[in-house]
Amino acid sequence: MFKLELYKTLAATLLATTMLTGIAQAQESDTAAYNGLWNAKKDISGGVHYPFKDGKTGPYVLNPQVYEDSDISKGKDGLKKGFNNGRLATSNELQAWDKDIRPDGIGLPEGSGYVDEGEALYEAKCMSCHGDFGSGGGGYPALAAGKAKEIKRMLKNNRWLNPTAEGPTRVIGSYWPYASTLFWYIRDAMPHPKSKVLSNDETYSLVAYMLYINNMKVKGEIVNETFKLDREKFLQIEMPNKNGFIPYIDGSDGIENIRTFFQNAQNFGGIRLAKGEEPCMQNCQQTDNIVRLNGGITDFEPAMSVERNLPQKVEAVSFDPKAAYDNNCAMCHETGVAPPAGNKVKWTPYLKKGLAAVLQSAINGTENGMPPKGGSSLSDDEFKQVVEFMVK
Amino acid sequence: MKSHKQILKNSSDVIQTDGKIDRRAFFRKTGAISAIAAASVVAPSVLQASQDDPNIMHHPQWGQIWGDPVSENLYGLPSAYEHNNTRRYTKLLASGNYRAAIAVTPIHESEGIITPNGLFFSRSHGGTAHIDPNKWRLMINGLVEKPIVLTLEQLKRYPRVTRTHFIECPANGGQEWRRPQYNSLQFAKGFMSCAEWTGVYIKTILKDLGLKPTAKWMLAEGSDNSEMGRSVPVEKVLDDAMLVWGQNGEALRPEQGYPVRLLLPGWEGNLCVKWVKRLEFSDEPWYAKEETSKYTALKPNGKAVQHFYANEVNSTVVIPSPEKPWTSIKEGDEVEIEGLAWSGMGTITRVDLSFDGGNNYVKANLKGLILPKCWTRWSYMYTIPKGFKNKDGKQIILTSRAMDDAGFVQPSVDQEIFGYGVAKEDYGKDKDKGMGVESVYHRNAIESWEVSENGEVNHVQIRTI
Repeated sequence: MFKLELYKTLAATLLATTMLTGIAQAQESDTAAYNGLWNAKKDISGGVHYPFKDGKTGPYVLNPQVYEDSDISKGKDGLKKGFNNGRLATSNELQAWDKDIRPDGIGLPEGSGYVDEGEALYEAKCMSCHGDFGSGGGGYPALAAGKAKEIKRMLKNNRWLNPTAEGPTRVIGSYWPYASTLFWYIRDAMPHPKSKVLSNDETYSLVAYMLYINNMKVKGEIVNETFKLDREKFLQIEMPNKNGFIPYIDGSDGIENIRTFFQNAQNFGGIRLAKGEEPCMQNCQQTDNIVRLNGGITDFEPAMSVERNLPQKVEAVSFDPKAAYDNNCAMCHETGVAPPAGNKVKWTPYLKKGLAAVLQSAINGTENGMPPKGGSSLSDDEFKQVVEFMVK
Repeated sequence: MKSHKQILKNSSDVIQTDGKIDRRAFFRKTGAISAIAAASVVAPSVLQASQDDPNIMHHPQWGQIWGDPVSENLYGLPSAYEHNNTRRYTKLLASGNYRAAIAVTPIHESEGIITPNGLFFSRSHGGTAHIDPNKWRLMINGLVEKPIVLTLEQLKRYPRVTRTHFIECPANGGQEWRRPQYNSLQFAKGFMSCAEWTGVYIKTILKDLGLKPTAKWMLAEGSDNSEMGRSVPVEKVLDDAMLVWGQNGEALRPEQGYPVRLLLPGWEGNLCVKWVKRLEFSDEPWYAKEETSKYTALKPNGKAVQHFYANEVNSTVVIPSPEKPWTSIKEGDEVEIEGLAWSGMGTITRVDLSFDGGNNYVKANLKGLILPKCWTRWSYMYTIPKGFKNKDGKQIILTSRAMDDAGFVQPSVDQEIFGYGVAKEDYGKDKDKGMGVESVYHRNAIESWEVSENGEVNHVQIRTI
């Protein structure tokens, strides 16, 4: 019934009435199933728009006390009335939450920072995840991969004809269209274990450092260790891949550009049949080449099983602090970011306040980039054993 | 409330104290009985008493002793025997400590068109936030005459609407552009789920706020530590965008953005911002991190598609699948091949099924409720041929292909990569055609399962390169 009603509501003008006598008939004629409305008012995403009409939207019935017929193209939202819930936001509240930053500089605060300040901050708070010079690792994204303009050329390295060739590299310098994203994201979402702790000046210095490790220039000026970034200079940053995105969404034509783009299925790898056109039913493939799994990805957690049984009792295995260290801590503690296990000399300054203090910092995380419990999900007791193993 | 583990432990104690049944022996026996029953030429009276099923001949313990009192499990949990029906994750799709990561839905165990809340796929950019609903606030500001703040209780005063929609991560299938990677339906297609959502049309809230005519875009911002934000055209907001707090008859789960998330029916999951705290209206889009650095689809010409909203028409065979093979099925058995189809562009109108990897198709049958931007079940009755082989002697390769009411049909693997209507000899010549293999997002090519001689089901792709 739902399907039938849907057709009634949306496609009556396109379908012969004989097709509306039952679901079976409707299915038989399904290539005529366009509701036609994407032509009348083309949906911005390329899909079908289901207006409010005759008390329904698609198959759903609407409360007629609240809703009426809608026509978005004429600005009719289909609402009979509104409701005065909530209260006006205060100016302080708006100031506290309205902190987004746009490419045109709206929202970008005053402030400044140097590359070398950013480097020191990066090494303290960011490197444990993002690696040396933004090289990435451990599932955390790389931030740089060399000279931005050169890396950008790799965006055309598509492995569609040669699966084993070198692919594209999408890092800040080669891919991101605007630097505003960088400032906004670093200040409000980083460092990952505890965000919203960086000042505007600190954020400027970190953005400057990002430009530095991506070998970028700002208005012809090479970003070197002594480069200072402030609001004025920030607004002059031109990211190398600024024009690398389609459709063009900015300005007064932005919305219509999107609509036009998604009307053409070829733009996004889709197939849209003409009205009444049948899909291919015979000899549709140009190849009979079967590509099978080559090992593939199998490290699923929990391991795949479809058994209907009771879970096996987990034997109490003795906890191995070294194994836990290797899995959770070594990424930083064995790479020079933080003191390695068993190195008494390097641990001495940390132990001045006693083992309990070290343990407390390790469990709660520190301002200097140590995530709480190293980001592990170990229990407090297990984690204590790991710390004791490390400082031994 | 008892934890799942405690309950499992108790149940297992019960089994272990029941020494009457040697479980291994009984599995052997039931196997033998099934074999005879399957032959179905032997009259029941011919069967020997030794073939009696102990499950019938002995009272099971659950049939004799008290069950749990109603005071147990006041929030109900699945049977302990269902513990393998669970979300799963993999290191490949995660930051080092699983805070920016995904856990995917066991589609192979899915029934109907609703995903239970505990199995709904879970994706976050800074971990699952746990929000005190009493302290949660929603701010709506920007190009409105009246910027407001709402409490949860105030939000829930608006007239409610309930809609059934899938939410799909646009990276569903995104690891398999260059070759199949997962011998698993859960990982190949489980970056999605479908639920019945309850909330309010955002336009209902806007009606009295006085949206200014210059407002073209809405920023939705999460209150989690990553402040996940996305720009949404106002046109979608004034169409069917919702703020939802109800999921399958109860409050959203924390993994789904408790207490409130944005729902943009049919559009990529990343746009349906969870733990939402602010909606701002503006004349220009924002360029938030997850709409530029990620969630953009790189094409062979070096340009990337941004603001790629709707999840395109898609489908998969669910039964059988790599997890649910045909190893206990034999020649001559009549089986139901069942699957799912979905489209963020509209309503599923048709599904075709192929037994040779998408070269030739027959029409399958849609069944159950057929709703816009929603999972749709389809089915085809089939008699198993000898050795799971087609007439040409090659193994069956099951492939489904869906269509929607916007006229979209799923492409073949080659068509999606090299472009529709491009001859094989011209593959890769026109860099403006096709999506290539570096897009990561929005892959909706047909999916293929090859059935081996003994009924195992393996993920394959039919493709030139």
